[in-house]
Amino acid sequence: MRELAKIFIAVGTQSVGGGTSTLLLLRRFLVEREQRISEREFTEAWALCQLSPGIHLVALAGLLGRRIAGWRGVIVAVSGMMVPAAVITAAMTAGYGVIADQPLAHAALAGMAPATGGMTLGLAVVLVRGARRHGLRAAVDAAVVVIAFAVLLLTAVSSVAVIVVAAAMGALFLGRERPTSPEGAAE
Amino acid sequence: MDPLALFAVLLKDSALALGGLGALPLLRQDLVATGLVTDAQLVEALAIGRLSTGPSGLWIVSLGYQIAGPLGALMALLASSLPPLVILPATAVARRWLMSVPFAGLVRGASLATAGLLGATGVSLILPARDAPSWWQLAIGGAAAVLTYQGRLHPAAVVIGGALFGVLLTR
Repeated sequence: MRELAKIFIAVGTQSVGGGTSTLLLLRRFLVEREQRISEREFTEAWALCQLSPGIHLVALAGLLGRRIAGWRGVIVAVSGMMVPAAVITAAMTAGYGVIADQPLAHAALAGMAPATGGMTLGLAVVLVRGARRHGLRAAVDAAVVVIAFAVLLLTAVSSVAVIVVAAAMGALFLGRERPTSPEGAAE
Repeated sequence: MDPLALFAVLLKDSALALGGLGALPLLRQDLVATGLVTDAQLVEALAIGRLSTGPSGLWIVSLGYQIAGPLGALMALLASSLPPLVILPATAVARRWLMSVPFAGLVRGASLATAGLLGATGVSLILPARDAPSWWQLAIGGAAAVLTYQGRLHPAAVVIGGALFGVLLTR
């Protein structure tokens, strides 16, 4: 169990920049280096995680932890990956708070705001690309994206309502094939 | 904000989101529109999430810290860690249902709507309602979108690059 904790703490503290690097490190440690699970088990678990709400990598850590060491493995894996990384994140936020009122920080923020906006926009396009289909289905998918986009930008309708309605409509009309692991899902 | 109320908001938005950034449009509506945080603080949280270690979804921890200090960060950590674990009992008792056609459609509908909401949030961060962005901010936004789409540059490098351009060009 201690070795499992070490692996997930290493993943949580060594992966910088988000989901893709975290996913790669998980695979490297658990499949290639330690051989705790097989490539097929890892891929299956990742595919299942696409169905979970919230951070898919937390779901992946939970599934892999359970596979390796049962429910204790779930706790060790999720807390090992998340707690040290959250402490680092909180410490960075506190550190930034000390300098946030400095002119240099304001100048940096003037560049970071459009950068994060652009990254968010780029991620949206990646998600659409990963889910793309062909023909009439593609048109229906595009309509859902465009409607959600327009509703948020042009109306005061709740984002929650948009997701709930889209999910309900999806269950009724979009379920023609199983979801695969979309590109960018690690985000 | 009361920590438990903050936990409830973060939990609801995390539970309704797909992916680490999926909660961004929901949280922006719940926290920025109500004046609890500013768009600038949201951007700072997103940037710190990209520069920090672990899943990018931990930007919510930075946001929680900004709202309520260490206790807010703890609330955010719990709120973002619990919803994904629904997959554990779900795969144990309802694996066949998870693989059913209606559920695949449900996830697809929510995922496409999330993409649309994220796109709109990205646009509104590049083009804030109050201040018209300058040409170089538009250029940074466009470049960051393209680089993220291509996936060739590390996300932390995109954030650092944006900050450097900001420092150089606002002087």
